[in-house]
Amino acid sequence: MVDLAMPGMVLFLLLNLLAGMLRVYRGPTLADRMLAALLFSTTTVAVLLILAEWMEQPALRNVALLFVMLASIISLAFVGLPGREELEDDRQ
Amino acid sequence: MTLTDDVTLALLLAGCGFYLAGTVGLLRFPDVFCRLHALTKADNLGLFLVCSGLAVHSGEARVVSLLLLIWLVGLLAATVSAHLIARHAHQHLATSPEDSNEQR
Amino acid sequence: MTLFLLDGLIVVGLVTLAYQAVSSRSLFRGIIHFVVFGLTMALAWARVGAPDLAMAEAAIGAGLTGALMLVAYRRLVEGRSDSPADPAPAQSRLALPIAIGSGLLVGVIGLSALFSEVEPAQAGQAVLSELQQVDLGNPITAVLLLYRGLDTLLEVAVLLTAFLAARAVAGADGGEGSATTPAPETPMVGALLAVVIPLTVLVAIHLLRAGSYEPGGAFQGGAVLAGAGVLLILSGRIAATPVAGPLIRMGLLAGLVSFMLIGLVPLLKGSPLLALPGLWAVYFIETAMMLSIAITLILLFAGGGGLKRGRNG
Repeated sequence: MVDLAMPGMVLFLLLNLLAGMLRVYRGPTLADRMLAALLFSTTTVAVLLILAEWMEQPALRNVALLFVMLASIISLAFVGLPGREELEDDRQ
Repeated sequence: MTLTDDVTLALLLAGCGFYLAGTVGLLRFPDVFCRLHALTKADNLGLFLVCSGLAVHSGEARVVSLLLLIWLVGLLAATVSAHLIARHAHQHLATSPEDSNEQR
Repeated sequence: MTLFLLDGLIVVGLVTLAYQAVSSRSLFRGIIHFVVFGLTMALAWARVGAPDLAMAEAAIGAGLTGALMLVAYRRLVEGRSDSPADPAPAQSRLALPIAIGSGLLVGVIGLSALFSEVEPAQAGQAVLSELQQVDLGNPITAVLLLYRGLDTLLEVAVLLTAFLAARAVAGADGGEGSATTPAPETPMVGALLAVVIPLTVLVAIHLLRAGSYEPGGAFQGGAVLAGAGVLLILSGRIAATPVAGPLIRMGLLAGLVSFMLIGLVPLLKGSPLLALPGLWAVYFIETAMMLSIAITLILLFAGGGGLKRGRNG
């Protein structure tokens, strides 16, 4: 039963991510768009853990550990950014 | 269907529910701080429930401790990320209303 | 049905994200799409049962490259605000010939691959049948070091060449401190580093050791260590210097040199080149390669030749 439910849960979480991507388009601030990336990193961890159990691939748990360890790199790189998308209209 | 399966299923489903709540919050809440709040808290509870569900399902000590480690590090990373993003949003609060014009 | 939907969603998502990453009107949105693409790619590798690739993709594709792009974006915007915008560079007259030339090259290689006699890839089968004898539980590490040693050696050489090329382009100033974000004055970053940095070192060593019997190995370990280095650079704990010290130079060359030296020894005894003399050699070379890969990636990120203690160090 659980093994049957796991693919469905992975699908559900992926659809969740798809919905979350809307925030990248809507913004309005850079931080809002960044939140979508944050959503992705937490949700993919859960997806990887479920995949590890369901596909019987224990190494995927190590991948999930890497995800959570390195998730903060992006946030740390983000702090230094200016507040607005100044390059918005420079490209044609 | 055993009791372990029941518990696993319940925990996993509850976890997915919190992930859904986080995403709904991300999409529906009015400003960046509310969204941040909704997302980081709900998702970490979701991760905890998923981890505990899988821990019950697996039952091996090694797997359980690895899942616990993943959750703890994830908690730390999400906390610091939320803090950093909130600082960024707060510092640039003055400039953000202009940005909302380009919403589409 | 669920499986079909699941895999279909990943495939369609990857293509859409890749398109969005290069075509988005806003550079920042493009970068976010790129990061998300990296995470999804790692998920795809996990789904097809390739944890080795998922690890490398998670560390390099999403983490390091994403951070590199965000830092580049910041410098682009900052440069824009205090100096008048440079006029867009005129399209080089060489662009079209180069594009046609590369297209032809790819076409010729593709065609020749299509019509040439394909030798069955023997390394995989050989390794699976002899896994017991070579005493390595992970077929991927065995292929990389025992059966495809030359390929692995050349990969390490390519990484070093890429670093040298980046140094040549970067010029003498070394872009000191350019990759450091204006350090956020918050104790939380220190707390994060205090937990995550030791953990990354531990995980890197585990991946290196585990690489002989389960997914992992020098590339994964090196990528994780590089992630730790990038965290230290971003938070101002270490910074780039124009010239490397002796330790950094040794670290850069360790992988290539030790692989070549140990690989040459068998020639003296009449065995084929790169026939590794034993399991100790595998571990030795893997360790050296891990250090070299990590240092090369960190220096590529920092845009400098060497490293020193940063302003928050």
